[in-house]
Amino acid sequence: MNRIAPVGADPLAVVERPLSHWERLWGHAPLRRGVILVLLALLWQTYGILANNPLMFPSFSATATAFSDAIIRGTLLKKAWTSVQVLLLGYGIGMSIAFVLAGLAASTRIGEDILATLTAMFNPLPAIALLPLALLWFGLGTPSLLFVLVHAVVWPLALNTSAGFAAVSETLRMAGRNYGLSGWRYVARILVPAAFPAILTGLKVGWAFAWRTLIAAELVFGVASGSGGLGWFIFENKNRLETDYVFAGLGTVILIGLLVEGLIFRTIERHTIRKWGMQR
Amino acid sequence: MPFDAGPPLLAAEGLTLQYKTRTSLVTATWRVDVAAGRGERVVLLGPSGCGKSSLLKCVGGFLPPVEGRVMLAGREVTAPGPDRMMVFQEFDQLLPWKTVRGNIEFPLIQARPGWSRRHIADKAALYMDKVGLSKFAESHPHQLSGGMKQRVAIARAMAMEPEILLMDEPFASLDALTRRRMQEELLQLWLDTRFTLLFVTHSIEEAIIIGSRIVVLSPHPGRVKAVLDSDFAADDALGPTHSQALQDEISAMLFSDRFENGSGI
Repeated sequence: MNRIAPVGADPLAVVERPLSHWERLWGHAPLRRGVILVLLALLWQTYGILANNPLMFPSFSATATAFSDAIIRGTLLKKAWTSVQVLLLGYGIGMSIAFVLAGLAASTRIGEDILATLTAMFNPLPAIALLPLALLWFGLGTPSLLFVLVHAVVWPLALNTSAGFAAVSETLRMAGRNYGLSGWRYVARILVPAAFPAILTGLKVGWAFAWRTLIAAELVFGVASGSGGLGWFIFENKNRLETDYVFAGLGTVILIGLLVEGLIFRTIERHTIRKWGMQR
Repeated sequence: MPFDAGPPLLAAEGLTLQYKTRTSLVTATWRVDVAAGRGERVVLLGPSGCGKSSLLKCVGGFLPPVEGRVMLAGREVTAPGPDRMMVFQEFDQLLPWKTVRGNIEFPLIQARPGWSRRHIADKAALYMDKVGLSKFAESHPHQLSGGMKQRVAIARAMAMEPEILLMDEPFASLDALTRRRMQEELLQLWLDTRFTLLFVTHSIEEAIIIGSRIVVLSPHPGRVKAVLDSDFAADDALGPTHSQALQDEISAMLFSDRFENGSGI
Protein backbone atom coordinates (compact mmCIF):
# COMPACT_ATOMS: atom_id res chain seq x y z
CA MET A 1 0.00 0.00 0.00
CA ASN A 2 1.31 3.43 -0.92
CA ARG A 3 1.34 6.06 1.75
CA ILE A 4 1.92 9.71 1.30
CA ALA A 5 5.28 10.61 2.77
CA PRO A 6 5.18 13.18 5.57
CA VAL A 7 6.14 16.60 4.24
CA GLY A 8 7.04 18.39 7.43
CA ALA A 9 10.78 18.22 6.92
CA ASP A 10 10.97 19.67 3.41
CA PRO A 11 10.95 23.54 3.38
CA LEU A 12 9.37 23.61 -0.11
CA ALA A 13 6.43 21.48 0.95
CA VAL A 14 4.36 24.14 2.69
CA VAL A 15 0.83 25.09 1.78
CA GLU A 16 1.25 28.73 2.62
CA ARG A 17 4.05 30.68 4.23
CA PRO A 18 3.97 34.40 5.04
CA LEU A 19 6.58 36.36 3.09
CA SER A 20 9.35 37.95 5.10
CA HIS A 21 9.25 41.70 5.80
CA TRP A 22 11.86 42.41 3.15
CA GLU A 23 10.04 40.44 0.48
CA ARG A 24 6.84 42.31 1.25
CA LEU A 25 8.50 45.73 1.24
CA TRP A 26 10.29 45.00 -2.03
CA GLY A 27 6.99 44.03 -3.64
CA HIS A 28 5.82 47.59 -3.06
CA ALA A 29 6.41 49.54 -6.32
CA PRO A 30 6.38 53.10 -4.86
CA LEU A 31 9.06 52.06 -2.37
CA ARG A 32 11.31 50.61 -5.09
CA ARG A 33 10.91 53.81 -7.10
CA GLY A 34 11.58 55.92 -4.02
CA VAL A 35 14.88 54.07 -3.54
CA ILE A 36 15.84 54.89 -7.14
CA LEU A 37 15.05 58.58 -6.50
CA VAL A 38 17.21 58.61 -3.37
CA LEU A 39 20.11 57.01 -5.28
CA LEU A 40 19.77 59.61 -8.06
CA ALA A 41 19.80 62.44 -5.50
CA LEU A 42 22.96 60.99 -3.90
CA LEU A 43 24.66 60.76 -7.29
CA TRP A 44 23.66 64.34 -8.08
CA GLN A 45 24.92 65.60 -4.71
CA THR A 46 28.27 63.81 -5.10
CA TYR A 47 28.83 65.16 -8.60
CA GLY A 48 27.75 68.68 -7.54
CA ILE A 49 30.29 68.71 -4.71
CA LEU A 50 33.08 67.25 -6.85
CA ALA A 51 32.40 69.68 -9.74
CA ASN A 52 32.34 72.57 -7.27
CA ASN A 53 30.83 74.98 -9.80
CA PRO A 54 27.47 76.27 -8.50
CA LEU A 55 27.10 78.53 -11.52
CA MET A 56 26.99 75.59 -13.95
CA PHE A 57 25.84 72.68 -11.81
CA PRO A 58 24.47 73.40 -8.33
CA SER A 59 24.34 70.44 -5.96
CA PHE A 60 21.15 68.74 -4.79
CA SER A 61 21.24 70.47 -1.42
CA ALA A 62 21.73 73.90 -3.02
CA THR A 63 18.78 73.26 -5.32
CA ALA A 64 16.64 72.09 -2.40
CA THR A 65 17.52 75.26 -0.44
CA ALA A 66 16.71 77.43 -3.46
CA PHE A 67 13.44 75.52 -3.90
CA SER A 68 12.24 76.04 -0.34
CA ASP A 69 13.40 79.66 -0.42
CA ALA A 70 11.51 80.29 -3.67
CA ILE A 71 8.39 78.77 -2.17
CA ILE A 72 8.52 80.50 1.19
CA ARG A 73 9.86 83.93 0.29
CA GLY A 74 9.67 84.03 -3.46
CA THR A 75 6.95 83.71 -6.04
CA LEU A 76 7.41 80.10 -7.18
CA LEU A 77 3.99 78.89 -6.01
CA LYS A 78 2.21 81.89 -7.50
CA LYS A 79 4.02 81.40 -10.81
CA ALA A 80 3.26 77.68 -10.84
CA TRP A 81 -0.40 78.44 -10.16
CA THR A 82 -0.46 80.95 -13.05
CA SER A 83 0.90 78.25 -15.36
CA VAL A 84 -1.55 75.63 -14.13
CA GLN A 85 -4.51 78.00 -14.55
CA VAL A 86 -3.63 78.75 -18.17
CA LEU A 87 -3.00 75.07 -18.75
CA LEU A 88 -6.36 73.98 -17.35
CA LEU A 89 -8.19 76.53 -19.47
CA GLY A 90 -6.38 75.44 -22.66
CA TYR A 91 -6.82 71.76 -21.77
CA GLY A 92 -10.55 72.25 -21.26
CA ILE A 93 -11.04 74.05 -24.57
CA GLY A 94 -8.88 71.45 -26.37
CA MET A 95 -10.88 68.61 -24.81
CA SER A 96 -14.21 70.03 -25.95
CA ILE A 97 -12.98 70.50 -29.52
CA ALA A 98 -11.43 67.01 -29.58
CA PHE A 99 -14.64 65.35 -28.37
CA VAL A 100 -16.76 67.20 -30.93
CA LEU A 101 -14.36 66.13 -33.69
CA ALA A 102 -14.24 62.52 -32.48
CA GLY A 103 -18.03 62.44 -32.09
CA LEU A 104 -18.48 63.66 -35.66
CA ALA A 105 -15.94 61.10 -36.86
CA ALA A 106 -17.82 58.35 -35.05
CA SER A 107 -21.20 59.23 -36.52
CA THR A 108 -20.49 60.23 -40.12
CA ARG A 109 -18.07 59.01 -42.75
CA ILE A 110 -17.22 62.50 -43.94
CA GLY A 111 -16.51 63.46 -40.31
CA GLU A 112 -14.13 60.53 -40.11
CA ASP A 113 -12.34 61.69 -43.26
CA ILE A 114 -12.09 65.25 -41.96
CA LEU A 115 -10.60 64.11 -38.66
CA ALA A 116 -8.18 61.67 -40.31
CA THR A 117 -6.92 64.36 -42.69
CA LEU A 118 -6.62 67.07 -40.03
CA THR A 119 -4.81 64.82 -37.54
CA ALA A 120 -2.46 63.55 -40.23
CA MET A 121 -1.61 67.17 -41.06
CA PHE A 122 -1.40 68.76 -37.62
CA ASN A 123 -0.32 65.94 -35.30
CA PRO A 124 3.32 65.97 -36.50
CA LEU A 125 3.46 69.78 -36.21
CA PRO A 126 4.96 70.75 -32.82
CA ALA A 127 2.57 73.14 -31.10
CA ILE A 128 5.41 75.46 -30.13
CA ALA A 129 6.18 76.02 -33.82
CA LEU A 130 2.86 77.87 -34.04
CA LEU A 131 3.88 80.35 -31.35
CA PRO A 132 5.33 83.01 -33.72
CA LEU A 133 2.08 82.91 -35.68
CA ALA A 134 0.02 83.05 -32.48
CA LEU A 135 1.99 86.11 -31.33
CA LEU A 136 1.28 87.76 -34.65
CA TRP A 137 -2.45 87.03 -34.44
CA PHE A 138 -3.18 87.39 -30.74
CA GLY A 139 -0.26 89.45 -29.43
CA LEU A 140 1.69 88.94 -26.21
CA GLY A 141 -0.67 87.38 -23.69
CA THR A 142 -2.82 84.51 -22.59
CA PRO A 143 -4.75 84.11 -25.89
CA SER A 144 -1.51 83.20 -27.66
CA LEU A 145 -0.68 80.63 -24.98
CA LEU A 146 -4.18 79.18 -25.22
CA PHE A 147 -3.88 78.90 -28.98
CA VAL A 148 -0.76 76.74 -28.84
CA LEU A 149 -2.13 74.77 -25.87
CA VAL A 150 -5.32 73.88 -27.68
CA HIS A 151 -3.29 72.78 -30.66
CA ALA A 152 -1.16 70.59 -28.37
CA VAL A 153 -4.21 68.90 -26.83
CA VAL A 154 -6.72 68.54 -29.66
CA TRP A 155 -4.90 66.27 -32.09
CA PRO A 156 -3.57 63.52 -29.82
CA LEU A 157 -6.84 63.44 -27.90
CA ALA A 158 -9.08 63.40 -30.99
CA LEU A 159 -6.87 60.76 -32.60
CA ASN A 160 -6.94 58.47 -29.56
CA THR A 161 -10.65 58.97 -28.94
CA SER A 162 -11.61 58.21 -32.50
CA ALA A 163 -9.27 55.18 -32.60
CA GLY A 164 -10.96 54.05 -29.38
CA PHE A 165 -14.41 54.42 -30.94
CA ALA A 166 -13.30 52.49 -34.01
CA ALA A 167 -12.03 49.63 -31.84
CA VAL A 168 -15.37 49.07 -30.07
CA SER A 169 -16.44 45.56 -31.01
CA GLU A 170 -19.28 44.95 -33.44
CA THR A 171 -21.06 42.83 -30.83
CA LEU A 172 -21.09 45.64 -28.28
CA ARG A 173 -22.35 48.08 -30.92
CA MET A 174 -25.15 45.73 -31.88
CA ALA A 175 -26.02 45.18 -28.22
CA GLY A 176 -26.25 48.96 -27.74
CA ARG A 177 -28.48 49.45 -30.76
CA ASN A 178 -30.55 46.47 -29.64
CA TYR A 179 -31.52 48.48 -26.54
CA GLY A 180 -32.92 51.12 -28.87
CA LEU A 181 -30.04 53.56 -28.28
CA SER A 182 -29.11 55.91 -31.09
CA GLY A 183 -27.55 59.33 -31.68
CA TRP A 184 -25.78 61.03 -28.80
CA ARG A 185 -27.28 58.61 -26.24
CA TYR A 186 -25.58 55.76 -28.08
CA VAL A 187 -22.28 57.66 -28.20
CA ALA A 188 -22.42 58.70 -24.53
CA ARG A 189 -23.63 55.42 -23.04
CA ILE A 190 -21.95 52.81 -25.24
CA LEU A 191 -19.08 54.25 -27.29
CA VAL A 192 -17.50 56.56 -24.69
CA PRO A 193 -17.27 54.03 -21.84
CA ALA A 194 -16.26 51.24 -24.23
CA ALA A 195 -13.49 53.42 -25.67
CA PHE A 196 -12.47 54.80 -22.29
CA PRO A 197 -9.01 53.15 -22.15
CA ALA A 198 -8.08 54.88 -25.42
CA ILE A 199 -9.68 58.16 -24.33
CA LEU A 200 -7.67 58.10 -21.11
CA THR A 201 -4.46 57.50 -23.07
CA GLY A 202 -5.39 60.49 -25.23
CA LEU A 203 -6.01 62.62 -22.15
CA LYS A 204 -2.59 61.66 -20.73
CA VAL A 205 -0.72 62.29 -23.97
CA GLY A 206 -2.59 65.57 -24.44
CA TRP A 207 -1.75 66.62 -20.89
CA ALA A 208 1.97 65.87 -21.34
CA PHE A 209 2.08 67.73 -24.68
CA ALA A 210 0.22 70.71 -23.21
CA TRP A 211 2.46 70.98 -20.14
CA ARG A 212 5.66 70.90 -22.19
CA THR A 213 4.28 73.33 -24.74
CA LEU A 214 3.18 75.78 -22.07
CA ILE A 215 6.55 75.87 -20.31
CA ALA A 216 8.33 76.28 -23.64
CA ALA A 217 5.98 79.09 -24.71
CA GLU A 218 6.47 80.90 -21.39
CA LEU A 219 10.22 80.70 -21.87
CA VAL A 220 9.81 82.59 -25.13
CA PHE A 221 7.72 85.50 -23.97
CA GLY A 222 6.95 84.91 -20.33
CA VAL A 223 4.85 87.67 -18.89
CA ALA A 224 1.21 87.05 -19.53
CA SER A 225 -1.58 88.36 -17.31
CA GLY A 226 0.81 90.42 -15.20
CA SER A 227 2.86 87.84 -13.33
CA GLY A 228 4.23 85.18 -15.69
CA GLY A 229 4.40 81.45 -15.13
CA LEU A 230 6.96 78.77 -14.38
CA GLY A 231 8.71 79.10 -17.74
CA TRP A 232 9.21 82.79 -17.03
CA PHE A 233 10.57 81.96 -13.56
CA ILE A 234 13.21 79.71 -15.16
CA PHE A 235 14.10 82.30 -17.80
CA GLU A 236 14.38 85.17 -15.29
CA ASN A 237 16.68 83.23 -12.99
CA LYS A 238 18.87 82.11 -15.86
CA ASN A 239 19.32 85.78 -16.80
CA ARG A 240 20.34 86.52 -13.20
CA LEU A 241 22.69 83.51 -13.31
CA GLU A 242 20.95 82.02 -10.28
CA THR A 243 21.34 78.50 -11.56
CA ASP A 244 20.12 76.83 -8.38
CA TYR A 245 16.76 78.63 -8.85
CA VAL A 246 16.70 77.49 -12.48
CA PHE A 247 17.07 73.92 -11.21
CA ALA A 248 14.34 74.51 -8.65
CA GLY A 249 12.04 75.75 -11.44
CA LEU A 250 12.77 72.70 -13.55
CA GLY A 251 12.16 70.51 -10.51
CA THR A 252 8.75 72.13 -10.05
CA VAL A 253 7.86 71.41 -13.68
CA ILE A 254 8.75 67.75 -13.09
CA LEU A 255 6.93 67.60 -9.74
CA ILE A 256 3.68 68.96 -11.12
CA GLY A 257 3.92 66.55 -14.05
CA LEU A 258 4.44 63.62 -11.66
CA LEU A 259 1.61 64.72 -9.40
CA VAL A 260 -0.91 64.87 -12.22
CA GLU A 261 0.22 61.53 -13.64
CA GLY A 262 0.59 59.72 -10.33
CA LEU A 263 -2.34 61.18 -8.43
CA ILE A 264 -5.02 62.28 -10.85
CA PHE A 265 -4.66 59.91 -13.79
CA ARG A 266 -3.73 56.93 -11.60
CA THR A 267 -6.84 57.47 -9.47
CA ILE A 268 -9.08 57.74 -12.54
CA GLU A 269 -7.52 54.54 -13.89
CA ARG A 270 -8.06 52.65 -10.67
CA HIS A 271 -11.72 53.60 -10.46
CA THR A 272 -12.49 52.92 -14.12
CA ILE A 273 -10.57 50.76 -16.55
CA ARG A 274 -8.76 48.68 -13.91
CA LYS A 275 -11.97 48.01 -12.03
CA TRP A 276 -13.68 47.06 -15.30
CA GLY A 277 -10.91 44.64 -16.26
CA MET A 278 -10.06 46.64 -19.38
CA GLN A 279 -6.51 47.10 -18.15
CA ARG A 280 -4.43 44.99 -15.84
CA MET B 1 -50.99 22.28 -30.83
CA PRO B 2 -50.75 24.55 -27.80
CA PHE B 3 -50.06 27.61 -29.97
CA ASP B 4 -52.44 30.36 -31.11
CA ALA B 5 -54.21 29.99 -34.41
CA GLY B 6 -54.13 32.97 -36.74
CA PRO B 7 -51.04 34.80 -37.96
CA PRO B 8 -47.85 33.72 -36.17
CA LEU B 9 -46.01 36.10 -33.85
CA LEU B 10 -43.02 36.25 -36.16
CA ALA B 11 -43.35 35.88 -39.91
CA ALA B 12 -40.39 36.35 -42.21
CA GLU B 13 -41.71 36.23 -45.74
CA GLY B 14 -39.61 35.70 -48.87
CA LEU B 15 -36.43 37.09 -47.32
CA THR B 16 -33.55 37.66 -49.70
CA LEU B 17 -30.52 38.98 -47.85
CA GLN B 18 -27.37 40.30 -49.41
CA TYR B 19 -24.27 41.85 -47.94
CA LYS B 20 -21.16 43.38 -49.44
CA THR B 21 -17.67 42.20 -48.71
CA ARG B 22 -14.63 44.15 -49.81
CA THR B 23 -14.65 42.47 -53.21
CA SER B 24 -18.11 41.12 -53.90
CA LEU B 25 -21.83 41.10 -53.21
CA VAL B 26 -22.86 37.92 -51.39
CA THR B 27 -26.38 36.57 -51.37
CA ALA B 28 -26.79 35.11 -47.89
CA THR B 29 -30.35 33.82 -48.23
CA TRP B 30 -32.71 33.43 -51.17
CA ARG B 31 -36.47 33.85 -50.60
CA VAL B 32 -36.59 32.22 -47.20
CA ASP B 33 -39.77 31.93 -45.13
CA VAL B 34 -39.57 31.47 -41.38
CA ALA B 35 -42.45 31.63 -38.93
CA ALA B 36 -42.67 31.31 -35.17
CA GLY B 37 -45.81 31.16 -33.07
CA ARG B 38 -45.95 32.53 -29.53
CA GLY B 39 -44.06 30.22 -27.19
CA GLU B 40 -42.35 28.29 -29.97
CA ARG B 41 -38.63 27.51 -30.00
CA VAL B 42 -37.58 27.74 -33.63
CA VAL B 43 -34.03 26.67 -34.46
CA LEU B 44 -32.27 27.77 -37.64
CA LEU B 45 -29.86 24.94 -38.43
CA GLY B 46 -27.35 24.70 -41.22
CA PRO B 47 -23.69 24.63 -42.20
CA SER B 48 -21.64 27.82 -42.46
CA GLY B 49 -22.68 29.90 -45.44
CA CYS B 50 -26.38 29.07 -45.15
CA GLY B 51 -27.21 32.58 -43.98
CA LYS B 52 -28.62 31.58 -40.60
CA SER B 53 -26.84 34.38 -38.75
CA SER B 54 -27.85 36.87 -41.46
CA LEU B 55 -31.46 35.79 -41.01
CA LEU B 56 -31.23 36.41 -37.29
CA LYS B 57 -29.62 39.82 -37.85
CA CYS B 58 -32.42 40.67 -40.26
CA VAL B 59 -35.07 39.77 -37.69
CA GLY B 60 -33.07 41.81 -35.19
CA GLY B 61 -33.32 44.77 -37.55
CA PHE B 62 -29.59 45.06 -38.19
CA LEU B 63 -29.67 43.91 -41.82
CA PRO B 64 -32.43 45.25 -44.08
CA PRO B 65 -33.74 42.67 -46.55
CA VAL B 66 -33.28 43.16 -50.30
CA GLU B 67 -36.59 41.43 -50.88
CA GLY B 68 -39.38 40.31 -48.55
CA ARG B 69 -40.19 41.54 -45.07
CA VAL B 70 -40.19 40.57 -41.41
CA MET B 71 -43.44 40.97 -39.47
CA LEU B 72 -43.43 40.82 -35.69
CA ALA B 73 -46.80 40.91 -33.91
CA GLY B 74 -48.37 42.60 -36.92
CA ARG B 75 -45.69 45.31 -37.33
CA GLU B 76 -42.94 45.35 -39.89
CA VAL B 77 -39.40 45.23 -38.52
CA THR B 78 -37.30 48.12 -39.84
CA ALA B 79 -34.71 48.85 -37.15
CA PRO B 80 -33.17 47.26 -34.06
CA GLY B 81 -35.36 47.52 -31.00
CA PRO B 82 -35.82 46.20 -27.48
CA ASP B 83 -38.85 44.06 -28.46
CA ARG B 84 -36.33 41.61 -30.00
CA MET B 85 -33.48 40.98 -27.57
CA MET B 86 -30.36 39.38 -29.00
CA VAL B 87 -27.95 37.04 -27.24
CA PHE B 88 -24.65 36.77 -29.10
CA GLN B 89 -21.96 34.14 -29.17
CA GLU B 90 -19.21 36.56 -28.18
CA PHE B 91 -18.50 37.12 -24.50
CA ASP B 92 -17.86 40.84 -25.07
CA GLN B 93 -21.57 41.54 -25.55
CA LEU B 94 -21.77 42.57 -21.88
CA LEU B 95 -20.85 46.11 -20.88
CA PRO B 96 -17.52 45.69 -19.07
CA TRP B 97 -18.03 48.88 -17.05
CA LYS B 98 -21.22 47.63 -15.43
CA THR B 99 -21.73 44.97 -12.79
CA VAL B 100 -23.91 41.92 -13.43
CA ARG B 101 -26.83 43.79 -11.90
CA GLY B 102 -25.98 46.92 -13.91
CA ASN B 103 -25.84 44.94 -17.14
CA ILE B 104 -29.30 43.51 -16.57
CA GLU B 105 -30.79 46.82 -15.42
CA PHE B 106 -29.22 48.97 -18.15
CA PRO B 107 -31.48 47.97 -21.09
CA LEU B 108 -34.52 48.26 -18.82
CA ILE B 109 -33.52 51.78 -17.79
CA GLN B 110 -32.94 52.74 -21.43
CA ALA B 111 -35.97 51.09 -23.02
CA ARG B 112 -38.60 51.28 -20.26
CA PRO B 113 -38.56 54.94 -19.23
CA GLY B 114 -41.95 54.60 -17.56
CA TRP B 115 -40.74 52.05 -15.04
CA SER B 116 -39.64 53.09 -11.57
CA ARG B 117 -36.09 52.25 -10.44
CA ARG B 118 -37.58 50.02 -7.77
CA HIS B 119 -39.56 48.03 -10.35
CA ILE B 120 -36.48 47.70 -12.57
CA ALA B 121 -34.35 46.54 -9.63
CA ASP B 122 -36.97 43.90 -8.76
CA LYS B 123 -37.09 42.68 -12.37
CA ALA B 124 -33.31 42.45 -12.54
CA ALA B 125 -33.16 40.59 -9.21
CA LEU B 126 -35.83 38.14 -10.37
CA TYR B 127 -34.01 37.19 -13.57
CA MET B 128 -30.62 37.17 -11.88
CA ASP B 129 -32.09 34.62 -9.53
CA LYS B 130 -33.55 32.59 -12.42
CA VAL B 131 -30.08 32.13 -13.95
CA GLY B 132 -28.53 31.54 -10.52
CA LEU B 133 -26.27 34.58 -10.44
CA SER B 134 -27.68 36.49 -7.45
CA LYS B 135 -24.41 35.94 -5.58
CA PHE B 136 -22.47 37.65 -8.36
CA ALA B 137 -24.71 40.73 -8.65
CA GLU B 138 -21.88 43.14 -7.85
CA SER B 139 -19.19 41.40 -9.93
CA HIS B 140 -17.91 42.88 -13.16
CA PRO B 141 -18.03 40.73 -16.32
CA HIS B 142 -14.25 40.20 -16.40
CA GLN B 143 -14.52 38.35 -13.10
CA LEU B 144 -16.97 35.79 -14.52
CA SER B 145 -16.44 32.56 -16.44
CA GLY B 146 -17.66 32.18 -20.02
CA GLY B 147 -20.77 30.26 -19.00
CA MET B 148 -21.65 32.86 -16.39
CA LYS B 149 -21.26 35.67 -18.90
CA GLN B 150 -23.68 33.93 -21.25
CA ARG B 151 -26.11 33.47 -18.37
CA VAL B 152 -25.94 37.21 -17.68
CA ALA B 153 -26.62 37.87 -21.37
CA ILE B 154 -29.63 35.55 -21.29
CA ALA B 155 -30.94 37.07 -18.05
CA ARG B 156 -30.50 40.56 -19.49
CA ALA B 157 -32.48 39.60 -22.59
CA MET B 158 -35.20 37.82 -20.64
CA ALA B 159 -35.61 40.64 -18.11
CA MET B 160 -36.75 42.86 -20.98
CA GLU B 161 -39.57 40.38 -21.55
CA PRO B 162 -39.33 40.92 -25.31
CA GLU B 163 -41.76 39.57 -27.89
CA ILE B 164 -39.04 37.21 -29.06
CA LEU B 165 -35.55 36.19 -27.95
CA LEU B 166 -32.93 35.94 -30.69
CA MET B 167 -29.91 33.77 -29.92
CA ASP B 168 -26.94 33.54 -32.27
CA GLU B 169 -25.01 30.38 -31.30
CA PRO B 170 -24.92 31.53 -27.68
CA PHE B 171 -23.17 28.39 -26.41
CA ALA B 172 -20.70 27.85 -29.26
CA SER B 173 -17.74 29.37 -27.37
CA LEU B 174 -18.28 27.27 -24.24
CA ASP B 175 -16.62 23.99 -23.33
CA ALA B 176 -18.68 20.85 -23.95
CA LEU B 177 -19.74 20.28 -20.32
CA THR B 178 -20.82 23.87 -19.75
CA ARG B 179 -22.61 23.92 -23.10
CA ARG B 180 -24.64 20.86 -22.14
CA ARG B 181 -25.61 22.39 -18.82
CA MET B 182 -26.56 25.71 -20.42
CA GLN B 183 -28.83 23.94 -22.92
CA GLU B 184 -30.70 22.26 -20.07
CA GLU B 185 -30.92 25.53 -18.15
CA LEU B 186 -32.33 27.29 -21.19
CA LEU B 187 -35.03 24.63 -21.49
CA GLN B 188 -35.81 25.00 -17.78
CA LEU B 189 -36.17 28.74 -18.25
CA TRP B 190 -38.49 28.11 -21.18
CA LEU B 191 -40.66 25.74 -19.15
CA ASP B 192 -40.78 28.48 -16.54
CA THR B 193 -41.71 31.49 -18.70
CA ARG B 194 -42.61 30.09 -22.17
CA PHE B 195 -40.79 32.79 -24.12
CA THR B 196 -40.64 32.72 -27.92
CA LEU B 197 -37.19 31.82 -29.18
CA LEU B 198 -35.36 32.02 -32.50
CA PHE B 199 -32.10 30.14 -32.05
CA VAL B 200 -29.24 29.76 -34.52
CA THR B 201 -26.85 26.82 -34.39
CA HIS B 202 -24.72 24.62 -36.62
CA SER B 203 -24.94 21.65 -34.24
CA ILE B 204 -27.59 19.06 -35.12
CA GLU B 205 -27.53 17.76 -31.57
CA GLU B 206 -28.11 21.20 -30.09
CA ALA B 207 -30.92 21.90 -32.56
CA ILE B 208 -32.74 18.73 -31.45
CA ILE B 209 -32.28 19.55 -27.74
CA ILE B 210 -33.35 23.19 -28.00
CA GLY B 211 -35.91 23.34 -30.78
CA SER B 212 -39.61 22.69 -30.89
CA ARG B 213 -39.26 23.24 -34.62
CA ILE B 214 -36.10 22.97 -36.70
CA VAL B 215 -35.64 24.89 -39.92
CA VAL B 216 -32.89 23.16 -41.90
CA LEU B 217 -31.09 25.52 -44.28
CA SER B 218 -28.86 24.64 -47.23
CA PRO B 219 -25.95 26.87 -48.17
CA HIS B 220 -24.89 29.13 -51.08
CA PRO B 221 -27.31 30.83 -51.08
CA GLY B 222 -29.28 29.92 -47.96
CA ARG B 223 -32.62 28.27 -48.68
CA VAL B 224 -35.04 26.31 -46.53
CA LYS B 225 -34.47 22.61 -47.04
CA ALA B 226 -36.95 21.27 -44.53
CA VAL B 227 -38.97 22.24 -41.48
CA LEU B 228 -39.13 19.51 -38.82
CA ASP B 229 -41.17 19.29 -35.63
CA SER B 230 -39.22 17.95 -32.67
CA ASP B 231 -40.54 18.98 -29.30
CA PHE B 232 -38.50 16.80 -26.96
CA ALA B 233 -38.61 19.26 -24.10
CA ALA B 234 -42.40 19.37 -23.93
CA ASP B 235 -43.28 15.90 -25.19
CA ASP B 236 -41.95 12.99 -23.11
CA ALA B 237 -43.37 10.43 -25.55
CA LEU B 238 -40.56 11.28 -27.96
CA GLY B 239 -37.73 9.15 -26.60
CA PRO B 240 -34.02 8.80 -27.38
CA THR B 241 -34.66 6.46 -30.32
CA HIS B 242 -36.74 9.11 -32.00
CA SER B 243 -34.06 11.69 -31.28
CA GLN B 244 -31.43 9.47 -32.90
CA ALA B 245 -33.63 8.91 -35.94
CA LEU B 246 -34.16 12.66 -36.32
CA GLN B 247 -30.45 13.29 -36.00
CA ASP B 248 -29.74 10.74 -38.75
CA GLU B 249 -32.41 12.25 -40.95
CA ILE B 250 -30.98 15.75 -40.63
CA SER B 251 -27.38 14.73 -41.19
CA ALA B 252 -28.40 12.70 -44.26
CA MET B 253 -30.13 15.85 -45.50
CA LEU B 254 -27.14 18.10 -44.93
CA PHE B 255 -24.56 15.65 -46.26
CA SER B 256 -26.49 14.74 -49.43
CA ASP B 257 -26.52 18.44 -50.11
CA ARG B 258 -22.74 18.54 -50.01
CA PHE B 259 -22.45 15.74 -52.55
CA GLU B 260 -24.96 17.41 -54.85
CA ASN B 261 -22.83 20.52 -54.84
CA GLY B 262 -19.73 18.47 -55.56
CA SER B 263 -17.97 19.96 -52.57
CA GLY B 264 -17.86 16.85 -50.39
CA ILE B 265 -15.34 16.17 -47.70
